[in-house]
Amino acid sequence: MKKFSQLAVPYIAWAVMMLILPMGLIALYSVTEQGNSIISFTFTLEHYAKFFTDPDFLIVLWRSLLIALKTTVICLLLGYPIAYFISRSSEKVQNLLVLVITIPMWINMLVRTYAWIGLLSEGGLIQRLLSLFGFGSGELLYTEGAVLLGMVYNFLPFMVLQINTSLCKMDHSLLEASSDLGANPRQTFIKVTLPMSLPGVINGITLVFLPAVSSFFIPKLLGGGQYFLIGNLIENQFITVGEWNFGSAISMIMAVIMMLLMMAVRRVEIRNNGGKED
Amino acid sequence: MKKEKRTLGKVLMALVIVFFYLPIVYMVVFSFNSGKSLTSFTGFSLRWYKHMMESHTMMESLSTTFSIALIATAVSTVVGTISAIGLSKSKKIVQRLMEQVNNLPMMNPEIVTAIGFMLLFITFKIEKGYVTMLLAHIAFCIPYVMLSVMPKIRSLDPNLADAAMDLGATPWRALTKVIVPQIMPGIVSGALIAFTMSVDDFIISYFVTGGGVKNLSITVYTMSKRVNPSINAISTLVVVIITLVLLVINLAPIVIAKKEKKTEISRKKQAVPIAVAVVVAAVLVLVARLGNKTSTLPYAGQTLHVYNWGEYTGENILREFEEKTGAKVVMENFDSNEQMYIKVANGETYDILVPSDYMIQRLIQEGYLQKLDHSKLNCMDKLSEDVLGLPYDPDNEYSIPYFWGTVGIVYDKTKVDLEDLEREGFAIFLDQKYKGQIYLYDSERDSFMMALKTLGYSMNTEDETQLQEAYEWLVNCVQTMSPEIVTDEIIDNMAQGRKALGLIYSGDASYVMAENENMGYYLPESGTNLWSDAMVIPANAKNPDLAHEFINFVSDYDGAYDNSSFVGYTSPNQEVMDTLSGEGGEYEGIDAYVPRSGNQNDEVFEYNENTRKLIANLWSKVKIAASNAS
Repeated sequence: MKKFSQLAVPYIAWAVMMLILPMGLIALYSVTEQGNSIISFTFTLEHYAKFFTDPDFLIVLWRSLLIALKTTVICLLLGYPIAYFISRSSEKVQNLLVLVITIPMWINMLVRTYAWIGLLSEGGLIQRLLSLFGFGSGELLYTEGAVLLGMVYNFLPFMVLQINTSLCKMDHSLLEASSDLGANPRQTFIKVTLPMSLPGVINGITLVFLPAVSSFFIPKLLGGGQYFLIGNLIENQFITVGEWNFGSAISMIMAVIMMLLMMAVRRVEIRNNGGKED
Repeated sequence: MKKEKRTLGKVLMALVIVFFYLPIVYMVVFSFNSGKSLTSFTGFSLRWYKHMMESHTMMESLSTTFSIALIATAVSTVVGTISAIGLSKSKKIVQRLMEQVNNLPMMNPEIVTAIGFMLLFITFKIEKGYVTMLLAHIAFCIPYVMLSVMPKIRSLDPNLADAAMDLGATPWRALTKVIVPQIMPGIVSGALIAFTMSVDDFIISYFVTGGGVKNLSITVYTMSKRVNPSINAISTLVVVIITLVLLVINLAPIVIAKKEKKTEISRKKQAVPIAVAVVVAAVLVLVARLGNKTSTLPYAGQTLHVYNWGEYTGENILREFEEKTGAKVVMENFDSNEQMYIKVANGETYDILVPSDYMIQRLIQEGYLQKLDHSKLNCMDKLSEDVLGLPYDPDNEYSIPYFWGTVGIVYDKTKVDLEDLEREGFAIFLDQKYKGQIYLYDSERDSFMMALKTLGYSMNTEDETQLQEAYEWLVNCVQTMSPEIVTDEIIDNMAQGRKALGLIYSGDASYVMAENENMGYYLPESGTNLWSDAMVIPANAKNPDLAHEFINFVSDYDGAYDNSSFVGYTSPNQEVMDTLSGEGGEYEGIDAYVPRSGNQNDEVFEYNENTRKLIANLWSKVKIAASNAS
């Protein structure tokens, strides 16, 4: 039996090299001065200071978190009913619907985002439809709404699939038990279904919030150059400005914020399970 | 009551399906559009498919995407499964620790993971390219496989393997014959997740690639700045492939079920999708590679790596060069000099770069370029005097001009009063009359040039108070005028007449004016940037002879004509310039095509490290101010 545990050894070595070391390098870059080599470097906290003392950067961070939050809420509000509907269908329909939701994810994310440019641009289909219903002809592309739409479009499937998985895992006899004990459908939903689907909801939130907060091509394609999120700021530092140390510091800040947020979300889950983990 | 809810659910479901598929259908439809527009369908044509098939960037990116996805899926599935089995038998503390480590790529924002990989490869001096992309994909796929295999292993009876071995099975047999079949569903879904993640990945690939290796996402990202319907064509191809795979996956089990005993179905069912995916992807990789024929031409087997601006080459020039020399051309695109510089400074190898004036000066200063061998060049006497011997390379020891021009204002004659332009110059970008009607160009250099020139300073100023003043000018502009800050999108948008004014490069203006006769080009009297982009050969180029050959080919009449007539930028080849701007030429009467001479306020950019840094930082802050204002 012990023999099997040795199978993990190569992976542990690999993980140290490919997963832990890169994070270590970001941390190292973030506290050293620009232009240092990996062998000799000087420590500094100026990159962090630069970020936290400049209100402009903080606003960008705040806006990124906010738009990710909006995306997550919309995905949850749309995704839950859809997942619920799917999980209530017959098995055959269920498989089909899951497939229908999955297929777009197999088609490249950038390609799908690119398609929205044509739909949203001036004289495009959406604008023509809107003006048909008398909604005027305001600009659609290069607005925050367009960015939000792009994000919901790209990340909604994650939410639906996660919630659906946990709804399907649910033991249906629990629902019957609940109604046998006199609960009305609404009570059953709130007291039984909702708590049971919480792990899926939390996974969904994670899978939507994380990419949404750091996405930089959706704002770039649909928001235009004047729509700047934290992901764009990091990309900019590495690709055009060339200040990798400052870029690393921003990355660390992002990573820590995300970790804290995710821990907070997990806490909700644990508390809901009556304090026990797993 | 219940019925009603179902109907409501059905309506919602239908709407969501429309939402998900509308863009995909739209894309497929417009891939057959005969025109270039993404909004109006003008007729059926296959021209974008032809364009796609002819472009090896596109076909190769398709094959890269699938070959990386396949290898990464195969490796990560095997390694992930074995490691998960190993871990499940390890000490609890190791298990928990590894779980946390595996969470790193899943719980970190993708861009952070991407940067980590990039720094890793750069620190260890591993040349970025196919291998690094593959390693990164394997690294982020394994945790997903393990995550999906782990629960299945946990639900196994821990004594199962022992029982097998007690009955005389070797550990290997116990593993492959007993454990693996039991956890097969977990392995299959893990492999599917890995495949999906890999095919769809952009951010990580974008940061770890190099040497012209691109997957589909990177290609779309670099091509999408200008309307390019062949993206729709390649997307449609992907849709067709995916649909075929899915059809086969869903039909195959039914066919097999009919033929074989019932008990066999469940296992077959799981193996089929993967087998099919492997076959389809392998065929794709083959098809995409099929174009490479062997030949006996002088440079057969060599590859020319060109790093150039996006949409900056003629329609046929690369293909003709390949036909003439037998070499293969791999083109990579950048959208700013700074982006190019970072890659070159990090040791990536190219044979030809096409940077701008001040950047050439910097590259020369820092020793990144090699001197040209003028005995191998036959183009010098064909080039215009005006664009030779410029301050950044006075004797053209290092560079041969590629395109040149000015930076000016493109304006819609029906919306803008020429008098306003004449009176205000670049300050028209502060005129409230045109609020919400302007495009700025996302280039720190040219934005500061505009501000400095308006304020009456030199665009090469090193004076920090003047730069600060220019910065405030720009912040004022983005806060009060609600401009859109764009790059190449300006070309199509102005050609469609979407806004009244924009800061633009002369070559793009020529293109816009040729497309839309209402458009004009204005150069303020306060002066502007007289720029030139030129071909240079990096010191570490692998094929310098071929690079010289390319310089000759591009500077020669046919090559230069193709480039200039297709892209719209001014050719340094005097004859081409005269033909195109002369009677019957494509750019006859378009003043943007011929660069201005004789205004003493016009300048050429010079390089200064301090100013560069200052401007780069200030410009990101201008953009932040712009997004905070909206």
